[in-house]
Amino acid sequence: MHLALVTAAPFCLALLLALPQTRSHLGKTTQTLLSTALMAALFAWLVGAFPLLQAEQVIVQRLEWMPALGISLSFYLDGVSLLFGLIITGIGALIFFFAGFYFDDAAEYNRFMVWLAGFAGAMLALVLSGNLLMLFIAWELTSVTSFLLIGFQGKKQEAAREGAFKALFVTSGGALALIIGLVMLGAAAGQVITPEANSGFVAELDVILKLDNLHEHAWFPLFATLILLGCFTKSAQFPFHFWLPGAMSAPTPASAYLHSATMVKAGIYLVARLSPVMTQHELWANGLLGVGLLTMLVGAIFAIKQSDLKGLLAYATVSKLGAIMALLGLPGQAGLKAALVGIIAHALYKSALFMVAGTIDHAAHTRHIGRLGGLRKELPGLFWVTVISALSMAGLPFLMGFVAKETLLDALLHYSAPWTALVMLVALVSAALTALAAYMLIGEVFLGQRPRGLRIHKPPTPIYYGPALLAFCSLVMGFLLDPLIIPLLRLAVTKSFSLPLFAGFNEVFWMSAGVLVAGALLYLVRKPLTARITFPLSGDAVYREIINYIDWAGNALLHFQSGYVRYYLVWILGSVSLMLVASGTLSTVTAGQTLLPQDLSMTATDLAKIFMLLLTIVAAALTVVLREHVKAAIAYGVIGYAIGVIFLINHAPDVALVQMLVETMATVLIIIMLGQIRPGARLKVIDSLWSGRHDYNFGFLRDLGISIVIGLAVFVFSLIALQNRPDRHSIAKWHLENTVLVNSEDAVGAIVADFRGTDTLLEIAVFTTAALGVLTLLARGRVGGGGRPAPSKAPVESTPEFDAEAVEAIQDATSLSTPFTRLVTHFVLPVAILIGIAQILYGGSGPGDGFTAGVTIGLAVSLWYVVLGYDEARRQLPWFRPEQFVRLGLVIGIVNALLPLLLGKGFMGHVQFDKALGIYDLVGSFGLHITSSLFFEIAIAITVMGGLGIIIEAIAYPQSRAAADEGLSAVNI
Amino acid sequence: MIEFMFALAIGILFGIGVFQLLRRDLIKAAIGFAILFSAINLFFVAAGAFEGESPPYLSNVQAGRPTSDPLVQALILTAIVVSFGSFSLVLGIVNIISKRYDTVDSNDVTQLKH
Repeated sequence: MHLALVTAAPFCLALLLALPQTRSHLGKTTQTLLSTALMAALFAWLVGAFPLLQAEQVIVQRLEWMPALGISLSFYLDGVSLLFGLIITGIGALIFFFAGFYFDDAAEYNRFMVWLAGFAGAMLALVLSGNLLMLFIAWELTSVTSFLLIGFQGKKQEAAREGAFKALFVTSGGALALIIGLVMLGAAAGQVITPEANSGFVAELDVILKLDNLHEHAWFPLFATLILLGCFTKSAQFPFHFWLPGAMSAPTPASAYLHSATMVKAGIYLVARLSPVMTQHELWANGLLGVGLLTMLVGAIFAIKQSDLKGLLAYATVSKLGAIMALLGLPGQAGLKAALVGIIAHALYKSALFMVAGTIDHAAHTRHIGRLGGLRKELPGLFWVTVISALSMAGLPFLMGFVAKETLLDALLHYSAPWTALVMLVALVSAALTALAAYMLIGEVFLGQRPRGLRIHKPPTPIYYGPALLAFCSLVMGFLLDPLIIPLLRLAVTKSFSLPLFAGFNEVFWMSAGVLVAGALLYLVRKPLTARITFPLSGDAVYREIINYIDWAGNALLHFQSGYVRYYLVWILGSVSLMLVASGTLSTVTAGQTLLPQDLSMTATDLAKIFMLLLTIVAAALTVVLREHVKAAIAYGVIGYAIGVIFLINHAPDVALVQMLVETMATVLIIIMLGQIRPGARLKVIDSLWSGRHDYNFGFLRDLGISIVIGLAVFVFSLIALQNRPDRHSIAKWHLENTVLVNSEDAVGAIVADFRGTDTLLEIAVFTTAALGVLTLLARGRVGGGGRPAPSKAPVESTPEFDAEAVEAIQDATSLSTPFTRLVTHFVLPVAILIGIAQILYGGSGPGDGFTAGVTIGLAVSLWYVVLGYDEARRQLPWFRPEQFVRLGLVIGIVNALLPLLLGKGFMGHVQFDKALGIYDLVGSFGLHITSSLFFEIAIAITVMGGLGIIIEAIAYPQSRAAADEGLSAVNI
Repeated sequence: MIEFMFALAIGILFGIGVFQLLRRDLIKAAIGFAILFSAINLFFVAAGAFEGESPPYLSNVQAGRPTSDPLVQALILTAIVVSFGSFSLVLGIVNIISKRYDTVDSNDVTQLKH
């Protein structure tokens, strides 16, 4: 199986869960089992890849992505990624299962799982990507999904919103540094590979990891620092650690998964991934060691001061992450083994402890350590899970955590530097504090007296399965080092090593034992001890200060937001002019030539064009001077037609056709809308604008001045642009010559439906979006509920008396509905549909295409709304369901675009179905070509027709009976 | 010469469109918005790489007749439809404002910021 499929699987799960059908048809249990099974299957697959990896060491798979830039969608699987992949899928399966019982509300669970599955996909993509850019994209995706999961209860809790924002602020701030660092790294790699000829950006990991002199590059200190910044923020290293405790507002399954087992280890993953080529440099090694140790100590100290169960776990995680970072900084990758063992041990015990915290929260409705106690009797199963996991965290022999601590101390002890003693001291103090934190988890929560008023309700039994399994792993994994852990580590650690469960009574063992005892002693004095610890400055306070400054700057900028369009226009115009002047375009263009026309001769067509241009200008001026809105609208229609004629004279018949149809439509829309607005309101503004009072005159002059300046600027700009047009060698030439390839007679149609088809596909999507925007603005009551849309105030099917009355009111009000106009209306629609079909079928051989077809039919339908009114039109055209049309059109468009991929062509490639089916000559004799372009034209036509339908319906939708009544009678203003 | 005239017309149309936008009458402003779109489309058609004597059809190309630039036409074709979409959105907004504030005078609309 391709690694791309492994990566894609969780994303597909997220999509599946997000479908409304899933929500309504699959129960919570089914969804839980499905998600768990998928993750378990992925885990099994990764386990299955083990023998292959043993033979090959590294598996690299590539899919073509951006060949022109030398960037491909590549996947990279080696020991390190396999280890992370196993944690993501393995812990993921347990968490997904746990989440099914953590949430009581099925809808909430579903929403949560969509994001969680999406996160799992992003995280898998991160550790499996073989390409810096793809890695970065996945990196950001994990930040975004993490944001959504932390803020999951954001509607109810202020803290959740704040925590989510804090996490996003820190991690994506770090990601900004990271992307710069990665790009520099790629560029540096390019220069290292071919020093004389710059081979550009190298993004492929397998290439980069083979470079052994990257650290000698001049940019190394800069990009190493930037990458480290990215990793430190992501993995909550001091002083960026504060976002992680804030992230504890996430539902506990997310905390256990993202903020303990996987996402916070992304920084560690990247460091481990790049270390082979980076660690030769002192900056990298010492930076990791220093920051890691500091984080380890600070995290451990903070942890014991926490009163929130999850807060304690979060700081303990920070401490452990610091320890792993420090190990990765040891020279010559001496700490890699210890780091990987630490990752495994931590994933096992910390996820279990988080799930314990979640279960306690579920059962006792509090996570406050002071309010908990004596839970041992109520929740015995949970007690034993906690005992094993917490003691593993403390490092009791012979649990998995013990192995991790032994290897950690051992690795640090073999580190020889002037400051080794200090390093050991930090490590031992942190370990003792971690042990204390672990004892507190057991002692404060489960032992002692149960506080009064603490009610426990029994959680469902399956909620224990996940944590129990993890605790069991912590218990036995130490005895399974030889068959399980060591082969896995051998894939990642190139040097030979040994990993015994018990290395004898050496100095490491005594240190380890001393730490446990010290922790126990500290437990006795924990209350005075934690009260004594105070900090002058917290990361949180610094963060708040920064946010305050950003807010202040934002407020300062707000003074520029006057709310008046004219000031914005002045700003925009000013900046554009400044850019033009600064770029020097203006002076270079005008230097050699004069802008005024030299050659005054003109042909007859030029004269015709100039006449139409004058007509446009006059009509535009009329829209200003004509007071009544309806007259202005008609004057606007004249502009549209005049421009249509210009298109025609310029030999652009397709465009002319669309232009005229659309302008007709636009004018109709304005007039329909005028009928919707109370005439009094419109009269008022007309009167006040034309009253000639002094203050309005000032406004008039000011607006006039601004528009003259802008008009002049546009004039100069267009003149320069038009006089410096590209010559005949533009790509248009290529389009003309290759139109024959796509069986089209019309080059414009070929460009729209084929050469630039993706553009068109996006454009009809944009059009649909605009139409839906109109719908949500105007016809809220009509939307939703699914099925046949009907006006909320006057449902079509029910209350016939009211309906008839309403229709009558509208019919009375409008003189448009005469027997003759009704006849015409009925007659026009079938004709329009026939014309539309002809335009689609023969679009390739003459003017007209999907756009014109859609607009033609849309116009005919709009006639119904104008003449018959909303209700009657809706009743008589039951088959006209614009929402369905839009959906259908877009689906056809997308399927048509994807289909060529199956046939081995590109996205939106040209397929000749008639040739493939052997009916080329048959349909050809009718002048038809059945190609992918034809289906695309159909898609365009249906979408445009649907979009127009939505707009007309929405605008014609009677907002209130009174307005419709009064409005239609007063359209003549 | 014809470039000059086109540029002049585009400039004037743009100026008028902006003027309409600046006025307080929201309906006229919507019309001004549409005039801006027209000016832009006009610019595109004038900016074609070459002016021909016939539409950009294959038969014309094969017969050796110079044709007009098909690329700008394809661009305008979609631009017209999309600008119509945004124009109708503007109309929708004007409509909803006029409902909520019972006015089409932009100076009377004071509470869009919350």
